Order: sequence, then structure tokens, then C-alpha cells
Amino acid sequence: MITASARISVLGLGNVLFGDDGFGPFVIQSLRAGWDFPQNVCLVDVGTPGLDLVTYFQGTDMVFLIDAVGGSGVPGELRLYRGRELKQMQPKPRVSPHDPAVLETLLIAELAGDGPHDILLVGVIPRSLDLGVGLSAAVREAAAAASELVVRELANAGADPVPRHRPDTPDVWWMRGPTLPDRS
Amino acid sequence: MARITIDPITRIEGHLRIDAVVEGGQVQKAWASGTMWRGIETILRGRDPREAWLFTQRFCGVCTTVHAMASVRAVEDALALDVPLNAQYIRNLILIAHALHDHIVHFYHLSALDWVDVTTIPKADPAKAASIAESLSEWPGNSRQEMARVQKKIVGLLEGGQLGIFANGYWGHPAMKLAPEVNLLALSHYLQALDFQRKATQVVGVLGGKTPHIQNLAVGGVMNAINFDSQATLNMERLYMLKDLLAEVVPFVQQVYFPDACAIAGFYPEWFDIGAGVKNYLAVPDLPTDSRSRNFDLPGGTILDGKLDSVRPISGVRDPYFRHGVVEDVTHAWYKGREPQHPWKGETDPNYTDFQDEGKYTWVKAPRFEGKPMQVGPLATILVGYAQQHELTRKWTDLALARASAIAKRPIGVDKLQSTMGRYLARAIRAAVLSDLAIRHWEFLAKNVAAGDVDTFNPPHFPKDTLEGVGFHEAPRGTLSHWIVVKDGALANYQAVVPTTWNASPRDARDVPGPYEAALLKNPVANPEKPLELLRTVHSFDPCMACAIHTLDVEGRTTATVKVL
Repeated sequence: MITASARISVLGLGNVLFGDDGFGPFVIQSLRAGWDFPQNVCLVDVGTPGLDLVTYFQGTDMVFLIDAVGGSGVPGELRLYRGRELKQMQPKPRVSPHDPAVLETLLIAELAGDGPHDILLVGVIPRSLDLGVGLSAAVREAAAAASELVVRELANAGADPVPRHRPDTPDVWWMRGPTLPDRS
Repeated sequence: MARITIDPITRIEGHLRIDAVVEGGQVQKAWASGTMWRGIETILRGRDPREAWLFTQRFCGVCTTVHAMASVRAVEDALALDVPLNAQYIRNLILIAHALHDHIVHFYHLSALDWVDVTTIPKADPAKAASIAESLSEWPGNSRQEMARVQKKIVGLLEGGQLGIFANGYWGHPAMKLAPEVNLLALSHYLQALDFQRKATQVVGVLGGKTPHIQNLAVGGVMNAINFDSQATLNMERLYMLKDLLAEVVPFVQQVYFPDACAIAGFYPEWFDIGAGVKNYLAVPDLPTDSRSRNFDLPGGTILDGKLDSVRPISGVRDPYFRHGVVEDVTHAWYKGREPQHPWKGETDPNYTDFQDEGKYTWVKAPRFEGKPMQVGPLATILVGYAQQHELTRKWTDLALARASAIAKRPIGVDKLQSTMGRYLARAIRAAVLSDLAIRHWEFLAKNVAAGDVDTFNPPHFPKDTLEGVGFHEAPRGTLSHWIVVKDGALANYQAVVPTTWNASPRDARDVPGPYEAALLKNPVANPEKPLELLRTVHSFDPCMACAIHTLDVEGRTTATVKVL
């Protein structure tokens, strides 16, 4: 049961240096720029933490994950998955700490007894995960829809984000062009 | 003869692939391959050197802060810029806390299950587990009630048939040798470790502003304002918050992780005779204690051919022995180029050929130090420190060897650390050394601030000339160095030589294998379908490969396979 004081984390996953893999961090910055969030909601650009993700699951009641997902579909297509569906996937043998570890994190948090009761994955089918900064047009468009979706789901959970009258520009620093220091 | 391929790759993702030819129950030849292109450095060309750390922090999602730190240090070296004392201490505390977190997670959550068979836990006697625990440590979290609670949890999991996080282990493997009570004890610490690794991360968060990507760094220092009269800055309250967190993390390292690692080592003494591999070691000095980074609390140096008396110190980033000693060879890597290149001249020009046993087979370059492959990581740090009579290293190494020897009922000397088990034990020794240094550097910071020094930043000035710089950091996985060329205020070249590049290095022009490849030779493999022993040796290095993208496979395709041909 999600209550008004439930601790909710919204986590953007992905590497901003690899094209559409920066979807999660991009959505986090868009949310921060466009809305004010209740104190029990915490937004984090977690990057690609592997099993370190467990730190961001501990002590939460509800977790939103925003990530690029591998699967058949059209680039920019949004996919929504809830806890039960995620847990049906099989964990994989791990060789390095980097292997995507969402499921393992969920299972470890469950074993420890301090993981979220509720988890929601907002995924996007990427166009390109090649080295380079910036999102493809299709995925950028999906990012706006994903933000709205997260806001709606938060409202359903009783944690209404308040839209800003004057939204900030999202702080997507990795997409800015180079500026150089003064030379003497 | 069987050829084993362990390959966790899919269409869109790539990490580490290990190939091994097994004959007569032993590995006869091995290849380590990085299966994803790591040309991330090209993104930095033309950018502001002051901003580079924000990007390098994204090289790797697990080792975020280490790449940030190496980057600002490289620019400071290029500009010959000093760093205020407070900034050094704040950085050191961040680096120590990050390393403690990383080592705890490696031991319990990434590799313990290679040694601990969870499926024997129902057979354990909780009272006996508690009394074994009491013989190892004074830690208060080892009661019979706690052991019974954890056992009940595991029994429930096993009876439900839903193994959850344990669905993938090589349970019942003949190489698993611990008593059920020891397995139970280890698993109870696996669960407790989740809390303590998080507390270590909180130290990084308090100082760095945020985790996992810290916000407080700057070329020339840190952006933490120090003012005891302000809530928004590093004040007395925050300093004591840090001290309280350290007061929880340090005992966990010294009373749980360290004794557990000694015990596992003592129960598996045969692994001190397996997996030495490359016996040349490289570590750089770290935790500077002056603003010019001339003095350090952790020594660096090299050891050649496994001989501790060959130790040669590295005095700092300006030491030509290090500065001019490093080259990268691409004979067997998927890049263009013939002659080994110094990182300042390094290129990253791909030339993919497919996996060729005798040709090119990896995206990882082969770093060489004065022409030799080098093993890096906690073992290198510990051996280099031990050989130079570093006091804390001696204290914890001697204690670890005495404890492991007592359990194994045979003497285990410092030379035995050059092995698969030695790498596990050295990591725990390093964590114990760092936990002592955490307290010391907190005291340095508190004392310096109390004396009225609030400086945290020296502004950088960029000349129009061409400058070269290198920044290094002795990271949890070993020596990390960032090499930069700055031209007219912009980055003209950027090369990162990361710890796993040293360790997962392929063969070089003279066909000399890298540390993983050499360590796997003669590694036992009882059952090629379940190459647990091979994973033990690979995991002992704590591989951190791709600095990769993160894409969750929602259609359940296998992302790791063990293939036997």
C-alpha cells in the first residue's frame, strides 16, 4: 500500500555518452525542470551502476526506473512494466559488476527485506546506442511522453508533482557544445 | 580437449569474454577479450579541460568518482597547479569511502557465492555458526538468533523453489568445501554488508553532494565551501555526520569483512597455489598529504618477477619512471597502428577483424610498462607497500597471514599472496588499511579547518601553449591514469589507461599474455560445463570491463552463456 509518506525514488538509468542510452538521465532532468515534487519523491540520475543500484532501492516503498530497453519494436516506442513482470525474467551469470542488474537488485533487496513494494519500469526502444552524446529525434519525443507518464503514475500513487509556471531549461549538460576557458 | 567460452554478450551489449582450452582437467591456453569498443575518449577532443571530469565520470557507472578524480589531477598536472590541503583531504575521504564500498560489494555480493554454497545452509547448526563467528571476531551481529533468522529465510527460499538471486550458482560443485555453518555465517554477513556498503556510499554523498555522480570537484580543488556558521556548507555538523558514518563502516571492515576474508582463505588454502599469472606489479602512490602532491599516505612502485626485493618506488606523478614508462600495444587488439604508443600519442582508430585466436581478438589494448605486462590491483598495492615497509600494510598483512595460517594449519607466507586467493585476501587487507586511513584523513581535515584554513580552490589559468599532463589514482581495481594533451585551452588528446586494461590485456607483439590470460594457465576445471574454478580466478581480479551502456533486456534473452566446444 502506497501512502502519502511513502518513499518514492525515480531513477534514470543509462550512459549519457552512448546516444539513446542517455534516455533515463534526460527524463530525470526534464522532470526536474518542469515540475516541483513532494518531499517524499527523490529523483536520481543513477547512470550505469550495475549492482550498486541496490543502494538506491534500499529503504524505498516505490521505485520508478527509466531506461532504454532491448526488445523488438519501433525506436521511440514506450514500454511499461510492473514489478511482477520484471521478476519473471531470469537472473544471469555475472562476470563483471557492470552487467545490467535491475533484476538482481530487486531480488537482493527482497532478500534483505528492505526493497520497494512496488516497481515500475518506463522503457524506450532506442534507435542508436553508438558512442556520442544526444538523443535521436524519436527517443527525444518519447522522453516528453515518458515524463508525462511518470507524473501521472506519481499522482496515482498520491504524490502529485506540481507543474512549474515557468519551466527551467533541462540541465542536460552533456548535450551542450564545447565552450573554452580564457587563455593568457 | 574442451574449449570453454564464457561470453556475456548480446546484440547490443558487450563486456568480458573468456576463452579457455581445457585438457586433463586444467586450462592449457586462455584468451581475455573485451567485446565492446571503448573509444569514449574521442568525445573529449575539443572540450574544456575544466569540464572533462564531468564526462569521464560517465566512463563507468561503477567507478564514477575514480575517473573524475584522475581527470582533474591530469589537468592540474598539465598546469602545475597546486591543490589546497582541505581539497586534498576531502578528495582522499571520498576516494577511501568509495573504495571501501567497492571492496565490500566485491567480496560479498559479486564473488562470495563462488566459494559459499547457499544450498547447504539448511543443514547448518545456528549455535555452532555463532560460536565459529565468535572465534573469528568480536562483532556483535553474530548471535545464534541472527544465524537462525538468516537460516530460516534461506530455508523458505529453497523450499519455495524460487531461488531468486541464487538461481545461478554452481551449487553442489566439488570445489565448494565450506562447512554448512561457515556458509550460513558468510550469508548472514552478505545481508549485513548491504547496509554497510550503503553507509560508505553516504560518506561520498555528504562530501560529493550527490551519488553516484559527485558534484563537488573542480580543477584546482573542490567546490565545498567551508564555514562553521553556515548550514549550506561543510560545517561542524556535517563533519560529525561523517565521523558517525565512519564509526560504523570502519568496524564492519575490520571485524567482519577482514576476518571473513582470512577465514575463507584459511579454508581454501589450495587456492594460494593457483592463479599467480603475471608476477610484475604496478601501483601508484595515492592519498596525497600536501598541496603539491609530493607526499602520500599509500606508497607506489613496481615489483618485477615476483621478487619483493626488486621493489622500485614511484615518487609521484612527476616521476619519469612512471611518466615515460607506459605504452600501449595493439598487435592483438582491434585497432590500427603498429608500434606501441605512449598514451600522449595514443590513437583509438578501430580495425575490427572478428575473433582470431592468433590474430586480433579484443577491444582492450595491451598496456606495457618498460615493455612488460603488469598486474595491477589491491595485490600490487599490498606487495609494493609491504616491500617498502609501509607500516599499516605490514600490520594488516601480517595479521591476515597469521589468521589464514591458523585456520589452514599450515604456514602461509607473504609470497603466497601471488595467487588467486592472494588477490581476495589482499583486497581485504587493503580495505583494512584504508579504514585506518579514513579516520586519519578525517582528523587531518578537522584539524586543518579548526586551525582556520578554509581554502578549497586555486583557480586554474590556461596558457596558449601545448601542455601535456597525467593524473593517476590507485583505484579499487588498481592503477588508473588519464593522459591529456591541451592545446590553446582545449583538449587535443585524451587517453585513459584503466586498471582492467592492464589486467585484461591481450598478448603483445612478442606474444606475451596479459595477467588474466596468464593467471588462468593450469587453473583446474573439474567440469567444463560448470567452470566455477575459472570464474574464481577471473573474479579475483574484480573485472570492470566495458564502462558500458545499460540496456535491460525485456524479452528474456540470455545475456551470458557458457559454451563448451
